[in-house]
Amino acid sequence: MAPLTLRRVVSVTLLLALVLVGVAVVSLRLGAVSISTHGLGSCLVAAASGRTEYVTTDCRMIVLGLRLPRMLLALLVGGALSVAGAGFQALLRNPLADPYVLGVSSGAALGAIFALLAQPRTSLATMGAAFAGALLTVAAVYFLGRRGGQLDSFTLLLAGVITASFFSAVIMFLLASLPGRDLRGMAFWLMGDLSSPLPVRLAWLFLVTLLAMGAVYSTSADLNLLAGGEQEAMHLGVNVGRVKVVVYLAGSLLTALAVSVSGAIGYIGLLVPHVMRMLFGSDYRLLIPASALGGAIALIIADTLARTVVAPTELPVGAMTAIAGAPVFIYLLRRRMG
Amino acid sequence: MARRAPPSFLGLFLPFHAENRFAWPSAAFIALAPLILAALAAASQPRAVQSAARVVTDEIGRRVVVPAEIRRVVSLAPNVTETLYALGVEAKIAGITDFTDLPAGAAPKPSVGEPLEPSLERIAALRPDLVFVAGTINRRETMESLSRLGIPVYATDPHTARETLASIRDIAAVLGVADAGEELAARLEARLDAVRARLAGVAPKRVLFVVWEDPLITTGPGTFIADALRWAGAVSVVNVAEDWPRISLEEVVRQQPDDVILTATHTGASPEFARTLEKRPGWRDLDAVREGRVLVVSDAINRPSPALVDVIEQLARELHPAAFASVQSPPKGGRWLR
Repeated sequence: MAPLTLRRVVSVTLLLALVLVGVAVVSLRLGAVSISTHGLGSCLVAAASGRTEYVTTDCRMIVLGLRLPRMLLALLVGGALSVAGAGFQALLRNPLADPYVLGVSSGAALGAIFALLAQPRTSLATMGAAFAGALLTVAAVYFLGRRGGQLDSFTLLLAGVITASFFSAVIMFLLASLPGRDLRGMAFWLMGDLSSPLPVRLAWLFLVTLLAMGAVYSTSADLNLLAGGEQEAMHLGVNVGRVKVVVYLAGSLLTALAVSVSGAIGYIGLLVPHVMRMLFGSDYRLLIPASALGGAIALIIADTLARTVVAPTELPVGAMTAIAGAPVFIYLLRRRMG
Repeated sequence: MARRAPPSFLGLFLPFHAENRFAWPSAAFIALAPLILAALAAASQPRAVQSAARVVTDEIGRRVVVPAEIRRVVSLAPNVTETLYALGVEAKIAGITDFTDLPAGAAPKPSVGEPLEPSLERIAALRPDLVFVAGTINRRETMESLSRLGIPVYATDPHTARETLASIRDIAAVLGVADAGEELAARLEARLDAVRARLAGVAPKRVLFVVWEDPLITTGPGTFIADALRWAGAVSVVNVAEDWPRISLEEVVRQQPDDVILTATHTGASPEFARTLEKRPGWRDLDAVREGRVLVVSDAINRPSPALVDVIEQLARELHPAAFASVQSPPKGGRWLR
């Protein structure tokens, strides 16, 4: 790859942003009920300018009430998971790392199950418990993953993997004791599903997500140096300890948010950063914004497919990313090698 | 490239270093995105327009505002759909779900998908005045999403045959056909009471109810099926508090049930299938299997709908032919005619 220039960062980012807008428009149009581009345009314009009297019932319920929030959530979750994945791959210097490798999704699932076991059940309680479970796991893995007062990449990875497998065992145990009707909800949650209504304002999620993405991005120049080894980076003046803490905490926060609103959606966080690396090179100053946009594009496409392939029934999006993820990855890998 | 990082974790909240010259263009883009998205998100908050007329309390205790006259309903539970047909209000049905057995000769109705993942878009596009769900079938998230769109959702939640009758009355009352509901429920109640009268003083049969045959799952005492079995003069040989206990065939062989009951669709059971049990290890050691006391009942036994009473009657007749034969042909010489 040619050295990174400002021109390339801007052009790649703009290109991906254009693709994102295109995908978003297609996603808003497609569904069990089809809506024309013209109808969609006038609907969005009327709604955004506050002229509610021009908003048709179809537009209000289907586009504004269902598709738009879901598309925005897919955008947010896809971006968050991909940035977290890219960050963890750099932090752990392990190409297999994904947002869940450090146990965050297992912790969130455990929290959600506890919320389901406790009464009363509301989506706010489930989401809150999932988020709390994720954060507690993040804290536990953080303390387990330190050696000599410093965050050690390999200790951290092992601590995360062990915590995840322990929590999975506890989850299996608890699932066996859940009554059938809760099991169903839990099954969707474990597969990853974007159709559940959000108990909080989307705007807050966007704010926190962008802050956390910004935090990961602020370390991007250091992550480039870290790829050559911790010692080398330290000699080049990188505050390695600080970079690791920032990436770990911000990446975990992104994952915790994504998991608590949508369950564990697989493959996006592993695949998108690799695809972006193959397409645009491995400079983290470009890779992180590219991953954010690429993840959003990938998850919006996956969710649109999940809504439409067996319409009118909807699939959990996690099933879609899992089915499509591995073959796409293998194809790209072989093509690049060949 | 080498530079000194700020000494504190402040970097987490001050994402962009001035020294990273690629940061600012990306930052500008990231800053623009939320503005656009916030506008769209604000527009997407559904403004429910209620021509409120009545407030009813559904069977799980939610207060539901429904229009004075309900012209169009969508039923997300096959058992409710059956009830609606039995009430004679099929003209009001705008949508149903997959897996619904309509009465023979009934005109097809549009499906909104599977009960667990229906298409919310389809439901919205059908413009229902009211959506019926079943607490034991549908997901809580579906109810919440529909309520947010301003579509009234009425949840039914019967757990016994008696509650099924009450639910039929409730559904009829909501639809403004309370008389039809009262008539239907009274008719069904009379049939149930007749079965009970026939079985008065008759010892219940000890049965194995097969929910799933491999692994063998049966029913506990607290389920809808267990209640139906009690009405039909049967009690499970397996006395476990769990709702859906997984049991060993050995235990069943030890208990030697009087009869084995299979359901028609759950296990794909048919009379032919029942015969194959004679050759299977474990099963062939059951007296009931060897002597042909294997009954296949309709899966309506697990459905709170009017068809439940048919199943209870059939099952009671099969299990206790003596009690039913007695009326048509009074015992003479101690021989029963079947």
